[in-house]
Amino acid sequence: MYNGKAVVLVVEDSKIIRMGAVDLVVAASFEAVEALDADEAIRILETRSDIDLVFTDVQMPGTMDGIKLSHYIRDRWPPVKLIVASGTAILEESSLPEGSRFFAKPYSDHAIADAMARMLSNT
Amino acid sequence: MSNEPIAHFEAASTLAVVVSSNEPLLFLSEDQKVIAASTSFCRAFEIDPATIPGRRLSELGNGEWAMPKLASLLKATASGSAQIEAYEIDLKRPNQKTRNLVVNARTLDDGDKDHIRLLLAVTDVTVARAEARLKDDLVREKAILMQEVQHRVANSLQIIASVLMQSARRVQSEEARGHLQNAHHRVMSIAAVQKQLSTSKGGNVELRTYFTQLCESLGASMIADPDRLSIAVTVDDSAVEADISISLGLIVTELVINALKHAFADQPTGKIMIDYCSTGSDWTLSVTDNGTGMPTGDDAPKAGLGTGIVEALARNLQGEIQLSDADPGTAVTISYRGASDLQAILPSAA
Repeated sequence: MYNGKAVVLVVEDSKIIRMGAVDLVVAASFEAVEALDADEAIRILETRSDIDLVFTDVQMPGTMDGIKLSHYIRDRWPPVKLIVASGTAILEESSLPEGSRFFAKPYSDHAIADAMARMLSNT
Repeated sequence: MSNEPIAHFEAASTLAVVVSSNEPLLFLSEDQKVIAASTSFCRAFEIDPATIPGRRLSELGNGEWAMPKLASLLKATASGSAQIEAYEIDLKRPNQKTRNLVVNARTLDDGDKDHIRLLLAVTDVTVARAEARLKDDLVREKAILMQEVQHRVANSLQIIASVLMQSARRVQSEEARGHLQNAHHRVMSIAAVQKQLSTSKGGNVELRTYFTQLCESLGASMIADPDRLSIAVTVDDSAVEADISISLGLIVTELVINALKHAFADQPTGKIMIDYCSTGSDWTLSVTDNGTGMPTGDDAPKAGLGTGIVEALARNLQGEIQLSDADPGTAVTISYRGASDLQAILPSAA
């Protein structure tokens, strides 16, 4: 169903963490797109239709945090897969859209890459 | 209905007890006329004692005690159909801050069944309530600060982990990559404690959850074929202080990394077993593999940073390291045997 690589949108306000996330996405053989916050992520999703998965931080500046963003995406672009990571370890997976995955920071790159591969192979 | 002065019915001792009550207290007739008020009541609510006799409750002061709810509750108490127990009301006076009151009322039980009289105790809890609110605010603030700190720690650890992984992917040398990956494992091992602490209440770390999580993450990143190599964790219900858990976690991390790297080079399958158990203050941690066994003599590898870390941390925990042949494989056991073993000479590992 994909024309080549699956596309992962990384949403993270910390530059270094974002670089690391993009790196892990690329190392896992996916294409990476970056956004600094939820607003930029939504602009990207509005302009390109090839985003397969969004990997987002929770605490970010801007109008929405990662949890709100994940619900917004599920509402507007239901097929897009979601992975949420946060520095707050106690986050109920139930507060996230169904089918999305949560990881506490610091996450293991392997665990994230593994989750991405699983979620993207299910389409 | 009698027009006799109400004081006529009351024993002087009853009135004296009411007047001298430390807790603000009103002694009322069935129709809510004040028979007597305690000095403490007059002082607390700024009412001139001379103005009290014969007045109705609703007429006290500037009429601020005319509270329909209170009147109705007192009426019900007098008729025996209800009791006022720790009922909360607000006393509002012009140009003064609202006071939070807790009132208790009951009928006086002195055997005189013909004349129902009421005792109304009034406690001003404004200050106590404000203090409780302040305390609640502080507790909430502390929780928010804690969360903020945990969040910052997690983010900082994420930055370190991200940088290490990016470096590991970029370096050309296999050896350098190995060192960077090991550094990443060490950071993640400490981070796992942090995660545990942020979800536990007491500040202690449950070792079973911690070691399991730790080994899952080590296995996920180091074991390419889970059907070939596996890690099993057997831990009792022990929970230890955060500092100790960090040391134990790093020891496990080093020993598992070491076993995965060296023990199974020529074997089709392999297993690493982590065991921890404690009795009283005694504990034993062992990491056993069923690999090729430790080379000895001239073949013995030079002790690396990992060995140094294990020795230093074991010494810090006052534990004794024992290296033994598990036939096949190697077992590293670190044990602590009470205060009597403090003098024991730690073996200098090969």
